[in-house]
Amino acid sequence: MTDTDQTTPPQEAEPNKPVALNANDPLGEVWVFCELQEGKVQTVGLELLGAGRQLADKLDRPLAAVVLGHNLGEIPRQLIHHGADKVYKADHPDLAEYRTLPFRRVLCDFMGQQAIPPHSMLLGSTTTGRDLAPRIAAHFQTGLTADTTELDIGPYDHKGGSDASKIGLYENCLYAIRPSFGESLKARILGPWKNPQMATTRPGVMIPLDPDPSRTGEVVDMPVHLQPADFRLTIAETVREATAGVDFDNADVIVAGGYGLANADGFALMKELADCFENGTVGASRKAVDLGWIPYVHQVGQTGKTVRPKIYIACGISGAIQHRVGMQNSGLIIAINKDPDAPIFKFADHGIVGDLYQVVPEMIKQIKSSKGSKEVSSVGV
Amino acid sequence: MTNSAVKDVFVMIKQVPDTRSKAGLNPDGTINRAQAKRMLNPFDEYALQAALNVKKQTGCRVTAITMGPPPAIEILYTALEHGADRCYLLSDRRLAASDTLATAFALWKTIEHLNGFQMIFCGLQTTDGDTAQVGPQLAERLNLPQVTYCEDFEVVGDKLHARRVVEGGWQRVVSELPVMVTVANSYHPLEFKSLRGARMVQELMRNEALRSQYITTVDLDVVGADPDLTGLKGSPTIVAKTDKVGSIGGNCAMHQGQAVEALVREVTLQTNLLEFAS
Ligand SMILES: Cc1cc2nc3c(=O)[nH]c(=O)nc-3n(C[C@H](O)[C@H](O)[C@H](O)COP(=O)(O)OP(=O)(O)OC[C@H]3O[C@@H](n4cnc5c(N)ncnc54)[C@H](O)[C@@H]3O)c2cc1C
Ligand SMILES: Nc1ncnc2c1ncn2[C@@H]1O[C@H](COP(=O)(O)O)[C@@H](O)[C@H]1O
Repeated sequence: MTDTDQTTPPQEAEPNKPVALNANDPLGEVWVFCELQEGKVQTVGLELLGAGRQLADKLDRPLAAVVLGHNLGEIPRQLIHHGADKVYKADHPDLAEYRTLPFRRVLCDFMGQQAIPPHSMLLGSTTTGRDLAPRIAAHFQTGLTADTTELDIGPYDHKGGSDASKIGLYENCLYAIRPSFGESLKARILGPWKNPQMATTRPGVMIPLDPDPSRTGEVVDMPVHLQPADFRLTIAETVREATAGVDFDNADVIVAGGYGLANADGFALMKELADCFENGTVGASRKAVDLGWIPYVHQVGQTGKTVRPKIYIACGISGAIQHRVGMQNSGLIIAINKDPDAPIFKFADHGIVGDLYQVVPEMIKQIKSSKGSKEVSSVGV
Repeated sequence: MTNSAVKDVFVMIKQVPDTRSKAGLNPDGTINRAQAKRMLNPFDEYALQAALNVKKQTGCRVTAITMGPPPAIEILYTALEHGADRCYLLSDRRLAASDTLATAFALWKTIEHLNGFQMIFCGLQTTDGDTAQVGPQLAERLNLPQVTYCEDFEVVGDKLHARRVVEGGWQRVVSELPVMVTVANSYHPLEFKSLRGARMVQELMRNEALRSQYITTVDLDVVGADPDLTGLKGSPTIVAKTDKVGSIGGNCAMHQGQAVEALVREVTLQTNLLEFAS
């Protein structure tokens, strides 16, 4: 590793050239990539601004929202209201929809021009964030932690290891914390030797700030110099299903159905069980949604909603990682599956091995009769 | 067939601890790598099938590449059984403790060392690293366009037409070649191995001269990779601390082997489910 001369920008972005930092280099900003979908800021970006605000305050450095798109209009202001001190924006027709290469070009060019590279950069663990973040990290040869669930700033004393050049006390490290090894352990991943220290974070994990319309901030344009090579991939069509109407946030109980339902009619049974509860809602796996059995708004998981009801009842759902990340923070997970080896039994709290078409009607029956007995006893008093 | 634009495809595969078997799991749920059984990363099965499907369509050559300790040769046998044409094992003690950046660096050097390619397939993620980063990091090093989360695709002329997962739906894209593709687990599952492939691998295991025609083992010196940019030294991140996650995983109370009525009763008694009834 070479010492970085602070008077010259360290990275006249010669790709694959490390941005080495001394422990006593000036601290950079905290950058949060705020992704858009159909011209709207996605919640995960606002959540990351909430998390980024805390990191920036601990570092006493500005929080910058980074946004690329077209016809951004009020979006920079919205991001400032949600906690950003600065907004770096690129507004260009070629950026209207996310594509790896043009976004990567604008971001890497801009980051490479900074006299002080950002201290850290956060992106959502979405299909976009997970597509883009590793490109940037590889470009600057910096560390990237995937799928974090907690972020913090703190010191790290690196004592040993085979690499003497890394030894030292680092004051302001990004602590990127994520589940690992089948998720019975949490790992704290650190990389204070190079900035930006990067992380992606799962949607639904961080808490956004309440918007404060009195907040002000600076809006800076990022130059857009795209090259022919950036257009090697074109988007022919993007299909997203309308999202509205399902209130997962206020549900106590979510009854979710998967491929094990075998047909669309199975969701009538899911609804019947959900209706047994005061605040019950129906959820679904992606496979059920892809088969057209139920609209996308019901989808739980990595590319659906992250939910945390008091009770999650998974019926005929195998428990694929992409489903799990959307529901594992539920208070209590009850899984019904006829396969005793289904992965969902690895992380559910209660597992019923059986045919959901027998178990669920029985559950409905028992819930209804318990209600009956409650009424009877209250009458009896 | 033979005049297709696609002549060579690479598939990146990794051997991971077999978390489906109990052997090698410590009581606290961590993996004891020395004792664990090993398997082909399940996500890489889809990548392998994708490469083999291109071979079916275009007659191209399929090269499977892995980086790992010597036993990783086992997954190369698997690739050959299923129809891969040749394999490379990058194995070097100096690679130990590589994070994703260092892994992608070493794999990049290996790919550069080989002759050209039109497509590189990666799995979506590994079950032990679980980052989904190596593919795009490789694409960055190779300056390639990429199609991540690819659910289905077809080579049309000199272009790749693909469908990929996006938040809330899906997308159809058209990419120039060469391209890096990460294959989603909603792609076609790995087909059965061929009898011919299985026989050939039986033969290879006995016959070293024959084996070396199909499997080449390389190290950092052979591929010309600077050891300082890989392994522990070349890894910008380290795992500093692990805490137990109490609430997640491993303690499922199983209800089975009785009449449904009794199973459901157990659950309603042992949980607060009934409290939420309307
Ligand atoms: C990029 C990407 C993003 C994704 N995002 C999501 C997401 O947001 N949400 C999501 O859910 N998935 C997502 N997936 C898909 C995910 O990987 C799985 O394919 C999906 O979750 C599987 O759905 P399932 O559990 O319903 O189906 P399966 O995996 O097929 O499982 C069906 C289960 O039902 C059981 N079963 C069958 N019949 C019965 C019966 N009569 N009674 C009881 N049990 C029965 C079977 O034993 C089996 O375990 C994504 C995948 C990718 C690649
Ligand atoms: N050691 C390795 N050897 C070959 N391919 C790898 C290796 N590690 C990762 N990959 C590829 O990169 C994908 C994503 O891995 P990861 O970033 O570890 O989740 C895997 O599915 C493989 O296709």
